[in-house]
Amino acid sequence: MSKSDEKTKAAVIPAKPDIRESIINFLKDGMDKGVFDSVIIPMKVPSGDSFAYVMIKDKSILKDGSFLPPVMPIQGGRMVSSVTRLGKTDMKTAVVMRPCETRATIELTKLGQVDLENLILISMDCPGVLPLSDFLKDPEKNIKLFDDAAKKLDDTIMRPVCRICDKSSMISGDLHIGTLGAKKDTFYIISNSQKGNDVVEKLGMKLNENIDNWQTKVKSISEEKQKNREKAHKDLKNEIGGLDNLVDAFSKCINCHNCMSVCPVCFCRLCYFDSDKVKHPSENYLQRAKNKGSIRFLPDTTLFHMGRMMHMSLSCVSCGACEDACPMDIPVAQIFSMIADETQGLFDYVSGRSLDEPIPLVVYKEEELHEMEDAND
Amino acid sequence: MNKNDDYLPKIIAFLCNWCSYAGADLAGTSRLKYPPSILPIRVMCSSRVDPLFVIKAYLNGADGVIVAGCHPGDCHYEKGNYYTRRRFALLKKIFEDLDLEQDRLMLSWISASEGPKYAKVATEFTEKIKEKGKNPAKSKIFL
Amino acid sequence: MTKALIINKGVEQGIIEFLKYLLDSGKVKAVFTLKKINKNGAVAFSLISKSEDLDDSVPFYPLMPVNAGYLLSRFTMKEAATEPVVAVLKPCEIRAFVELIKREQGSLENLFIISSTCGGVYTHKMSADGLVEKNLTKYWDAVKKGEILDDLRPTCRSCEEFQPYNADITVDIVGKNDLDKQCTMLLNTEKGEGLAKDMKGKLAEKNLDAKKLDNFRAKREKEKKKLFDEIEPKIKGLDGLIDTFGKCISCHACGKVCPICYCTLCEFESPDSEYKPSNYETELNKRGALRVPPGTVYYQLGRLDHIAISCVGCGACEDACPADIPVSIIFKKIGESVQKMFDYIPGKNLEEELPLSTFKKEELSEVEE
Repeated sequence: MSKSDEKTKAAVIPAKPDIRESIINFLKDGMDKGVFDSVIIPMKVPSGDSFAYVMIKDKSILKDGSFLPPVMPIQGGRMVSSVTRLGKTDMKTAVVMRPCETRATIELTKLGQVDLENLILISMDCPGVLPLSDFLKDPEKNIKLFDDAAKKLDDTIMRPVCRICDKSSMISGDLHIGTLGAKKDTFYIISNSQKGNDVVEKLGMKLNENIDNWQTKVKSISEEKQKNREKAHKDLKNEIGGLDNLVDAFSKCINCHNCMSVCPVCFCRLCYFDSDKVKHPSENYLQRAKNKGSIRFLPDTTLFHMGRMMHMSLSCVSCGACEDACPMDIPVAQIFSMIADETQGLFDYVSGRSLDEPIPLVVYKEEELHEMEDAND
Repeated sequence: MNKNDDYLPKIIAFLCNWCSYAGADLAGTSRLKYPPSILPIRVMCSSRVDPLFVIKAYLNGADGVIVAGCHPGDCHYEKGNYYTRRRFALLKKIFEDLDLEQDRLMLSWISASEGPKYAKVATEFTEKIKEKGKNPAKSKIFL
Repeated sequence: MTKALIINKGVEQGIIEFLKYLLDSGKVKAVFTLKKINKNGAVAFSLISKSEDLDDSVPFYPLMPVNAGYLLSRFTMKEAATEPVVAVLKPCEIRAFVELIKREQGSLENLFIISSTCGGVYTHKMSADGLVEKNLTKYWDAVKKGEILDDLRPTCRSCEEFQPYNADITVDIVGKNDLDKQCTMLLNTEKGEGLAKDMKGKLAEKNLDAKKLDNFRAKREKEKKKLFDEIEPKIKGLDGLIDTFGKCISCHACGKVCPICYCTLCEFESPDSEYKPSNYETELNKRGALRVPPGTVYYQLGRLDHIAISCVGCGACEDACPADIPVSIIFKKIGESVQKMFDYIPGKNLEEELPLSTFKKEELSEVEE
């Protein structure tokens, strides 16, 4: 996969009777023709109150797939890692995920947690996703609310980080389902790789349409979101900037480490902050309590968050899974996403944008970042 | 009978090396007849059986799970099977409280000389499982 | 009758005065209790060594950010407390700590335990919404009258073990009409008496009001039956489990905040439980489709098997669950059921061995064949 500068071509597919069913048919066609041996796509759970990724081999089950569910209970990157961390799957598998999940998957590949061989990553234009706790208040009603909001491109009810996401149509996988700017009752299938080209070809479609309309619409939405993003980040920086404000922001944190558990790019089996390294003898704590008069117990809450920032912000895809999982409603995703923009910006890096871009900390240039050296010169 | 007369249950049996496995062996060498439904797994002691093995077997679709060891008091390692009995009782209680067909799980004491007992247990348990039908966990997608 | 010390201040003030006395007199070098840690009212456990810092402490605040039994375990797991420390805990937190001590995850050495009859705590959701502070008056009112509020944690509303075991001092709170004027501290042990000696207050012989507490227990029992009856159809059979845990996101938060789940690397996150590509193929061939990541029900059943025997019913699990699954009542129900099998109350008696670490030569014949 590469950042193609050539004129990208797409296939235009009629959305009959609707986009959802057309995509299911596309996938089914792929299975019929042996292009895919299996498909990973979200499905409603039996109790009907949530959605979960399901790996499907039996074609008849495919009809219940839902390519754009209203919630993201498990981040797709984390899910793909659970399937291929120990090695590639022998089944040619189409994986249908949102752009941030696809980016997380690419990032995890660089981190050795995903084997992309035999996987075909399919993303789509994303209207955002509902916060899980909001959705669970009334699943049936919220499915409808989400579908309406998605059609109108209204993101008021989506996750806070979704509302300022300027990468909601970013293509980093093999294929992308373009709904924006498409003529009525059609959608684009845009290919971003040789794998993608092969799939489209084998399904008897031709990549001979241009995507100018899609690109224009995506650009205008992205620019609007960018403006909102800059403002939101500026406001947030004022709110949590400075040590006192930062400590306050995390004052309700109960150190459950949920944010870390659900984060797709926090892949360490045993996190440093759960390991023996942070388990101290009582004398250590008593001494610290004497020095400061009193300490929170367990201490080092801010250390955990800053440490996690240091460890993963270069790979953060701003998906917002962390904030959904926080039991104390701390705006973790907004804070980490803001920092990630800054740290990734330092290296002109976008997490998961392309497999060809190494993670900035594993490479270097002999001449760079001089502004960071010798502050007193 | 719509419970599939020709359905052969798949029963996982954890057999302790010193007693139950030897007993099963004796049943074989004595040419005693019992259904081919048992999949034996040898462990050194019945207390090696982590309840998680039983749960995993059940959720993976095993129609029945047997844990067999030496008679209490005769454990090769002195007291392993006493712990097995407690662990098994706890697991069975959890299954019972959750209505998970706790009678698909069985604990049996079979000594090295009890070839006939092994054959009897295998036959009777297979019959009971046949009547219960297949384990529904086999076909579940959202486990 | 037990020796008691009655401080002529309301419970919330009285306990702070007592804790200050303990620090000032040098009887303890640090106090472990709930404290307001910033101007926004965030409340967290703190280790306090300076007397003035106790001004912001709220020892009986109706919130349990983390089960303090787990915190005491972290405090003493590497080495026992090197200096005398007094800890103010709720009954289920002490019980959790005792269960952890039985698993060699902590030590009571050099620790003094103060507790109280417990009126229950609010949920994390209410704390995150800033509602705990707003409800404080209503809370103390209900506690005084021995009533159960319906926005407390479900496990609290149905808790019958609200009287602490293993406390050196028990503060009389539930059903106590005069708790805004007097702080009555029952001195259960010699250690407790030693702490109270020379503290300003009236010494007396007192007991907890058994009748009031029995009434309260009856109310809690009724609520428990209601909650248990409600949950039973939801967890009936494999389909019940699949339905209830359908929205589980496998974050394992329930296990991470559970005081009994102390394993550094959980079995279900270890390589033991990881699926290989070949496992996926086997399962897909067998079932046609498989939820990924797999093992949602396996984790819940497995965790039940591992910890139900020691579940103290604190409810930390449900507060941490991002998917609003009623996991605390499920674990409490199954927990009580397996504990009854062995006549075991987790955390009641430090000398009593964990049921799975011991055995009788003749028992449980109903499970053998």
